[in-house]
Amino acid sequence: MKPENKKPVFRRKDVVVRSTADLFLPLACVFGCYVVLHGNSSPGGGFQGGVLVASAILLVYLGRGRDEARHAFRSGLLHSSETIAEILYVVIALVGIFTGLNFCVNFVFIGQEVETSVLMNDAVGYHVMAGITCLLIMMLGVLEPDDGEGQDGPTGKEGDAP
Amino acid sequence: MTTFLNNFPILAIMTLFLGAFLTSLVGRRFAPARNVLVVLSVTLPLAMMLALVKPVLIDGEVITYWMGNWAPEAGWAIGISLEVDALSLFFALIVTVAVFVSALYSFTYMNHDDSLVNYYTLFLMLSGSVLGLVLSGDLFNIFVMIEIMTFTSVALTAFRNRQEGALEGAFKYLAVGSLGSTCVLLGVAMIYSQLHTLNLAQIAALLPEQAENPVLLAAFAFLLVGFGSKAFLFPFHPLAADAHAVAPASISLMISGVLTKCGVYGIIRLCYVLYQNIDLPFVQYLVTGLGTVSMFVCVTMAFNQHNFKRLLAFHSISQVGYVLAAVGLGTALGLTSGLYHAMNHTIFKGLLFLTAGAVQHQTGSLNLDELGGLGKKMPQTCLLFLIGAASISGLPPFNGFASKWMIYQAAFEKGAETGNFFYVAVCLIALITSVLTLASFIKVAQSVFFGQYNEKFGQVREVPLAMRLPMWILAALCVAAGLLPELVQRYLLTPAVNAVFGVANYIDQAMGAGYAAAHGIVETALPELAEIGCWDPVSWLVLLFCFTCAIAIVALLAAPNDLSRVPVSSAREDGEALDAKYEPFFSGEESVYSQVGGSDLFWGFKHNWRRYFRLMHDWHSGVVNDYTLYAAVAMAAVLAACVILL
Repeated sequence: MKPENKKPVFRRKDVVVRSTADLFLPLACVFGCYVVLHGNSSPGGGFQGGVLVASAILLVYLGRGRDEARHAFRSGLLHSSETIAEILYVVIALVGIFTGLNFCVNFVFIGQEVETSVLMNDAVGYHVMAGITCLLIMMLGVLEPDDGEGQDGPTGKEGDAP
Repeated sequence: MTTFLNNFPILAIMTLFLGAFLTSLVGRRFAPARNVLVVLSVTLPLAMMLALVKPVLIDGEVITYWMGNWAPEAGWAIGISLEVDALSLFFALIVTVAVFVSALYSFTYMNHDDSLVNYYTLFLMLSGSVLGLVLSGDLFNIFVMIEIMTFTSVALTAFRNRQEGALEGAFKYLAVGSLGSTCVLLGVAMIYSQLHTLNLAQIAALLPEQAENPVLLAAFAFLLVGFGSKAFLFPFHPLAADAHAVAPASISLMISGVLTKCGVYGIIRLCYVLYQNIDLPFVQYLVTGLGTVSMFVCVTMAFNQHNFKRLLAFHSISQVGYVLAAVGLGTALGLTSGLYHAMNHTIFKGLLFLTAGAVQHQTGSLNLDELGGLGKKMPQTCLLFLIGAASISGLPPFNGFASKWMIYQAAFEKGAETGNFFYVAVCLIALITSVLTLASFIKVAQSVFFGQYNEKFGQVREVPLAMRLPMWILAALCVAAGLLPELVQRYLLTPAVNAVFGVANYIDQAMGAGYAAAHGIVETALPELAEIGCWDPVSWLVLLFCFTCAIAIVALLAAPNDLSRVPVSSAREDGEALDAKYEPFFSGEESVYSQVGGSDLFWGFKHNWRRYFRLMHDWHSGVVNDYTLYAAVAMAAVLAACVILL
């Protein structure tokens, strides 16, 4: 029983969209990780890279639909990751004190070009990745469910789980 | 001095933030582990701040801490610093004590709620941001901390989001609070554009050279309004009432005792240290005037309240008005009394909010018309409430008496010195406000703890020890600070005041010796404080005369009794239109069960002032657009006044 006045929906079974999304998914992840890891000496950094990695969930959504995107990611684990990243950041900054120096001071790469800000940058990247993914999962949750199967209306598959 | 002590400020801030993150990680599954973590994360900062009392407050050192050892190079502070002088430490002690008490109270108080992990995470982040604000030596970090503080406190206000009005109150706070934060950001950006530095000490050194620069004057106006909005001063006060009425009591303690103090701290830093323009009469009029208007308007608003915590919220702003009026005087005695009252306000207002929370926890109600006769059911809470009420009304021997006495004296002396009637008026309004505060608390005591009890609350029992203990701690502090004003003054207030007036030392400690002198800021002699408690009979006589005048003014201000001249029917209609009792944004919710007299104990007073109250009634519309408009008008007015008159 399809509603009469339904707007034309985006067809997620479209093979072009799906294969393109699948193709770009690893690229987005790798590029995001590159921006995070290289952030200390090039434009970009933890935040930008983290957002790039988090965009992976949007690619999954575009190619595979909402339900699959929500089942592919574990929001509990992501939430814990977010907190772990925050703790990592604080601990890296605090180690400076307990090595007898100062807060945020460089204690690892002494005498080199890079500083501890590299590690903090990575923690930020990890945090942003987990945080934005959590946010996107929440936003996907309020979208209409998939109707690519052609057998359910806009409210049909709300809340069914495998 | 041991160098490890230098790390304590940053460790204290980071303990709170780390505690917040760890709570969110492990507290979801293990409630006992969460509680242990919370206790640890609020106790350690308190201990660290207490450890700093000896070097900073007694020996008068200034702890300057450069993150990552980025010390100033060639006279430019490029790094981020924490700079802890006696003023910062004074406020940090207030903050850590309030956080400690609030956390202790939360464990039992919040046991009716769920998703407590979120509560404690936000609570610890709020505490960390406030501590970071008062200890920071960097203007931009102050802004960042203000943002964290605003957003976490908005989320905590809406924590009981099933309660009616919680989301609404939080939304108003969010909208207008963000406007205040934006003002601070604008001010910071303007200062950075002119001086190219964000370090407080360097700004303090460079600013006086460019005192005529209009951009910096505009920045002053923006920062003043921004910090004022965080202290909920006059045009911002309706927000506080709507937020406090729905927030959990432990959070009300934080908002009233700690967040408003951050606004006061910001204004003191701004006027005394950064701009050093508190000597200008215009700045004195502005700050003192703002404080005086806040204290008077809010105490009259409190008269109409029918919700326990809304009433306390208005009194809270009224007391912050006292603090600001004293701070704006610009004299050593004024600043001392302002700081003293700021400290006392946190103690007694915290105590009152906690007793309100105890009543709410046991009865589920905050409605003054519904409660009654709880004194027999909850004797200890009643006693604690009376201690708090006596303190806030300025009755001896509690702490409110000592600090209010100093404020009257400071305002009066300033008036005598300058021969300016404005300061005498401030003193008089402060006295009247104190009387009205006492009257208002008589009403609360009568409505909640005495009088006839409602049968609905027949089974109410005393709150558990875990909730009484924090209240007893605050009550003990009330008595101690009231009985030993000399000790408080010697060990807490005088070092803080000296730190505020010793700007040159503050600059030199951060930027290297001689930096202040190179920029024309000379070490001034530390102000001598007049004897506190001046029992000069002539002053008393003049004061008595002034007081009589004040009563006469009140009598004249009241509307003439013209009811006899209008027909009964129209008078009644008029009376109905005026019956503000049932207007939720003016006086709280509608009364269902009205016990004898309590809420209308002062109906004659309210009737005489009906024109004033009609104005106030229209003013407190509850519409967030209106409140935003007031904020914008305040901003524009202060901006215009500063740029034209300074």
